[in-house]
Amino acid sequence: MSDYEHLIELSNLYILSQEFDEALKSLKKAEKLNKLDPKLYYNMGIAYEGLNDNEHARNAFRLALKLDPTLASAREHLDRLIEE
Amino acid sequence: MKQFVVIGLGRFGSSIAKSLSEKKFDVLAIDEDENRVKQMEGTVSQAVVMDATDEKALKELGVADFDTAIVSMGETVEDSIMITLSLKEMGLRQVIVKAKSELHAKILKRVGADRIVFPEREMAERLADSLASPKIFDFIELSETHGIIEIVSPKKFIGKTLSGLKLREKYKVSVIAIKRKVPFSQPDGSTDFKEEVIIGPGGENEVISGDVIILLGANVDLEKIEKL
Repeated sequence: MSDYEHLIELSNLYILSQEFDEALKSLKKAEKLNKLDPKLYYNMGIAYEGLNDNEHARNAFRLALKLDPTLASAREHLDRLIEE
Repeated sequence: MKQFVVIGLGRFGSSIAKSLSEKKFDVLAIDEDENRVKQMEGTVSQAVVMDATDEKALKELGVADFDTAIVSMGETVEDSIMITLSLKEMGLRQVIVKAKSELHAKILKRVGADRIVFPEREMAERLADSLASPKIFDFIELSETHGIIEIVSPKKFIGKTLSGLKLREKYKVSVIAIKRKVPFSQPDGSTDFKEEVIIGPGGENEVISGDVIILLGANVDLEKIEKL
């Protein structure tokens, strides 16, 4: 597993244990290694949403969709956050 | 069952009359304008075209038997003062009046209004509050002094149980619910949330990062929590 993949996996684990701040730290490190992965921004969106920082969450989901317009889960989250 | 008389069926008056009827209360709606009254027919128990400044007509209609009157005269400051005065003289227990200005409110108080409302201003203040504080998701006014807020749990609360936080003792507020985003793993390995609402949480419940808590209390006490 590459360093980047390791950081993404770590962020998943932090999100699952509801440690969203820690998840964001891993994701920001991962972003330095690869800015083209929609999954990275999707996870960022989830972590920000977990912290109720909806503005950053929306931006992250938008970036994820820019990189992969077919990413349905990011679309669902973004739509919901826009409705709110 | 509580009975309400709503005088003046502009935007504010008609929406109050409608909301009260939806809550199955007995509502008598009065306005001088026939069209406005027509629009309320079928929605409220009784809708009457009448000049409400005519005290005798109000009496004949049996307004004195109602518990609460809501006076919402859009344009005419004088009329709302006259009507408030007559209603209080008739012995209505609670008269709520929409005011246009501070001076209008002062006079209304003098003639016996039990509660003055500034709907436009109150809406604007509420909107301004919610825009100014990203932490507050919603605020519901229960009375002039008490309300319910939905707020992102302050950092200080995270990792502590409700009994450990002693919110009732320290801040005189009660937690009525906790909204929590519960993460789960998708089959493809990615993560997602589902929202869980814990109603009437017990003292053993721990506040976790990202929780939104719904609190009930006096506005002054709720403000203290907002500032944490």
